[in-house]
Amino acid sequence: MISIRHVTKYYGEFRVLSDCSTEVRKGEVIVICGPSGSGKSTLIKCVNGLEPFQQGEIVVDGVSVGHPKTNLSKLRARVGMVFQHFELFPHMKVLENLMIAQTRVLGREREAAAEKALQLLERVGLRAHADKYPGALSGGQQQRVAIARALCMDPVCMLFDEPTSALDPEMINEVLDVMVQLAQEGMTMMVVTHEMGFARKVAHRVIFMDQGRIVEDDEKERFFSTPRSERAQQFLSKILHH
Amino acid sequence: MSYEFDWSSIPNAAPFLLQGMLVSLEITAVAVLVGIVWGTVLALMRLSGIRPLVAAAAGYVTLFRAVPLVMVLLWFFLIVPQFLQDLLNLGRAADMRLVSAMVGFALFEAAYYSEIIRAGIQSVPRGQIAAAYALGMTHWQAMRLVVLPQAFRNMVPLLLTQAIILFQDTSLVYVSALTDFFGAAYKVGERDGTIVEMLLFAGAVYFVLCYAASQLVRYLQRRLAV
Repeated sequence: MISIRHVTKYYGEFRVLSDCSTEVRKGEVIVICGPSGSGKSTLIKCVNGLEPFQQGEIVVDGVSVGHPKTNLSKLRARVGMVFQHFELFPHMKVLENLMIAQTRVLGREREAAAEKALQLLERVGLRAHADKYPGALSGGQQQRVAIARALCMDPVCMLFDEPTSALDPEMINEVLDVMVQLAQEGMTMMVVTHEMGFARKVAHRVIFMDQGRIVEDDEKERFFSTPRSERAQQFLSKILHH
Repeated sequence: MSYEFDWSSIPNAAPFLLQGMLVSLEITAVAVLVGIVWGTVLALMRLSGIRPLVAAAAGYVTLFRAVPLVMVLLWFFLIVPQFLQDLLNLGRAADMRLVSAMVGFALFEAAYYSEIIRAGIQSVPRGQIAAAYALGMTHWQAMRLVVLPQAFRNMVPLLLTQAIILFQDTSLVYVSALTDFFGAAYKVGERDGTIVEMLLFAGAVYFVLCYAASQLVRYLQRRLAV
């Protein structure tokens, strides 16, 4: 579904990603973790072309992301993305947030789009909030709306960029619950997160990044029981022991 | 001996003065509308990252901001009418003064509006554009549906403030002998020998209108600040 081959990216002189390679199969859930500045967010933003990269290749569902002839908008319409800061459109009501890309990008009729939107709001437990503006919702609710907005596009896979990092602790679980459910339904997911509970529960593989490199790329059990690199061991001991 | 004010010119010339006020408002409205549209285009060019467009927009803005408004108006009054008449094949008789004033103001104001709009666009968080792109929107869709509506909302007070300044500046059309409100008041004053009264009156009217409008801006600022 997603294959990342030897991707290297520079910001000017600085190398943010070094020769990153991995494969995500259909239905697989991959958790990417690592210290801040390790390039994990940059890597998943490369997957839908929000960040350009200079070397290597990323192929999503048969489409090469870096190829100059690729219609990126068309590709992105099929790849869902959830951001750390939700990024709902504040000037539109929740329902309109869920409909705008359906009608303007996919060309769906307004009625069909509204029906789909309400269905997905129901699924994230927010149908009653359809007529509110995002500003009137809590962070957790906004992030669930953002997930529903991405799902409205019937994506072939979903990318999550630290979806719970900006949330108050008591709101993290309501968002993770939606993500767990999605994973269990077989959605292909790449999730940048430090929520190791989520990783243990639904991830198939865990990728550990440090200084722009993929240091570990392992089955979940192996990763948690016997991480190979010292760096990953240190990282795990820091985030797991409290 | 004290000065005897004679306000009788005002009611007597009311229709003429009103006519002048309409000209002032007409020029303001056209210049604001065209200025905002053209200013938006300039701002988008400036932010497009496409070199020739950036350079063209930057050059335009720099040029118009470096030249006094009076000169722009005079220039448009003296040169452009001829050109427009030839271009549009209008008779020599057609009064081009109003049109040339509108064009001059609109082009001049666009330079200022484009700077306000550029700042407004940049005030929208970058994550909003990323989210729009991530949903499959093109650059133009992201601008039109996501960025510009938020930018304009943030900019309403500034755009209105600029419109108030523009309204005051319309009095500069006296250089083309076009009768706006100020021109009408002046002419009436000259005819009736009541220049002092008419200029005081005109000043009071400008003050009341602009003060009322600026209060509206303050009200909007408070409401939009939520």
